[in-house]
Amino acid sequence: MTSRSKRISLSEAAEIIKDGTLLTFSGFTIWRRPCALVYELIRQKRRHLHLIEVNSGPHSEFLIGAGCVDVWESCWIGHELYGKYGANLARRVRQKEIIYEDYSHAEMAFRFQAAAAGMPFMATQTSLGTDIHNPDYDMLGRAGLRNGKNPKIPRKKYHIVDDPFFGDGRQVLVPAAKVDVAVLAVQQVGDEGTVRIAGQFFTDPEVARAADITIVIAEEIVPEEYLRHESHLNKIPSFQVDYIVECPWCAHPTGMFRFYDVDGEFLRNFYTQTRSQEGFNEFAKEWIFGLNHDGYLNKLGVPRLARLKANTVLNYSTRVERGRR
Amino acid sequence: MKDMKQLAQPGEYTLGDLMTVAAAREVRDNEVVFAGTGMPMIAIMLAQRTHAPRLKLIFEAGTLDGRPRELPTSVGDPRCEVGASVASGLYEAFSIAQRGYVDLGFLGGAEVDEYGNVNTTAIGDYLNPLLRLTGSGGNPDINSFAKRTVYIMVHEKRRFPKNVSYITSPGWRVKNWPSGEWIHRRELYGAAFRGGPSAVISTAGVFRFDEETGRMYLDTYHPGMSPERIREMCEFDLDISRVRGETVPPTYEEIHLIHNVLDPDEIFLAKPRKE
Repeated sequence: MTSRSKRISLSEAAEIIKDGTLLTFSGFTIWRRPCALVYELIRQKRRHLHLIEVNSGPHSEFLIGAGCVDVWESCWIGHELYGKYGANLARRVRQKEIIYEDYSHAEMAFRFQAAAAGMPFMATQTSLGTDIHNPDYDMLGRAGLRNGKNPKIPRKKYHIVDDPFFGDGRQVLVPAAKVDVAVLAVQQVGDEGTVRIAGQFFTDPEVARAADITIVIAEEIVPEEYLRHESHLNKIPSFQVDYIVECPWCAHPTGMFRFYDVDGEFLRNFYTQTRSQEGFNEFAKEWIFGLNHDGYLNKLGVPRLARLKANTVLNYSTRVERGRR
Repeated sequence: MKDMKQLAQPGEYTLGDLMTVAAAREVRDNEVVFAGTGMPMIAIMLAQRTHAPRLKLIFEAGTLDGRPRELPTSVGDPRCEVGASVASGLYEAFSIAQRGYVDLGFLGGAEVDEYGNVNTTAIGDYLNPLLRLTGSGGNPDINSFAKRTVYIMVHEKRRFPKNVSYITSPGWRVKNWPSGEWIHRRELYGAAFRGGPSAVISTAGVFRFDEETGRMYLDTYHPGMSPERIREMCEFDLDISRVRGETVPPTYEEIHLIHNVLDPDEIFLAKPRKE
């Protein structure tokens, strides 16, 4: 693949993600989520997605509220300070419209590490004795999805063994998190695909390596030579990235280290408004449908975006309102 | 000029202040603390500025030994990374915890039972839940890996049930799968055993656990509460025979640090209202 052919548009990127895709994302809770692409998936009415995530957040609440998701497999969903839990997931769980599979956070991180290293599983000692390992709560198994039809879905939720090497007791083997597509939202990508992530990189290197196809949405596409001049600062090599998209503010309303802060007001309103399906539909009508990314930014307006803009020394906004004062 | 080391009087501090200070007192100097957000973060930063200046902070999202200048609103926040030794990722943070570096973790929960099992996943039958909550997050991981875990909880009778709806995070007596028989945590964890829940700080009092039986007991009750009343606020039979007295209120210095230095914008803690 030549370098130039990696560059695509947001809508072309969304088209790569087909109905039924096993999909994952960059970021952590309300930070560096590829929301611009998520909105585009909703506009294109993508269906039957299987989300498998180290942790979840607003981006998945958008997809779940819009009815794009059949399976949610992760450990956490919510909006941190700005919304206690994932109201859209909770609603669809209550109405039995979605399959949910719970692991622990470390288990999910280790599952992606295994997939990223081509290992079938990893061993861990976390969460022993909890209902995460209750055999009755293997939800993909209950739904009949562990039948081998999809080779990326493991035959078992987990497997417990005794340490065969040191006799150190019980170990939980957690299966590799194999995914079709990973979508990353980052600060910089080179025109050949090299990724530089500023700040905590969360599980992005593992997620990119675990996926068959990796799409990187970046605040800016920069010359490869610039990134290669200090290659020790880069986190993902060029050949692991299949497509690149340049899209400023691609993570809004989630935050982007060094570029912009979390839009807490937007998340709080979304959480409050979308506790009912009618509320979600109104939100989607106002903020997703009938808009493209430029229209979305225009609707947010320059003053709001300027308030969110990060201080380039501190890497977060000093002007955004966070508390009661 | 009032003595800043003096204890404040009722009305001069909030319940949030009292709980934060109680949480801060769980931190010992030089410890590695796995930090959550909200009140625990203020408690840890308070401890750092009072009796534990050399504590080390690890954030789940990947910051190792961070020295935030401003209160982070979540562990993914760039504010965590200011002054950090290393900014990395989750695999690093959890590997370090599993390796045994973490002394203390602060966590929350929707329900806690007599043995310190905590639920943050779903209320009611897991297969047909009344309410789906956020899920585990790092709660079971931090609790499995740390030597001590402190829970901060709202105290309502239904939140202190005989059995939690779903064991998200392991207490002192847990389930031995696949049979599901109850087993002492020490037996199940074997070589990986490091400890477990050491305290629950609720809106009513401070609770601890008997290491042998794994049972919760009342340690101190907050001013305005009584041991008998707190026992009524639990669905299990709470041991109140070991109670030491009232929870010690904050000092004027601690109130000053919480409201003027750590959380001046009232992100997590409202200031006491002037009468």
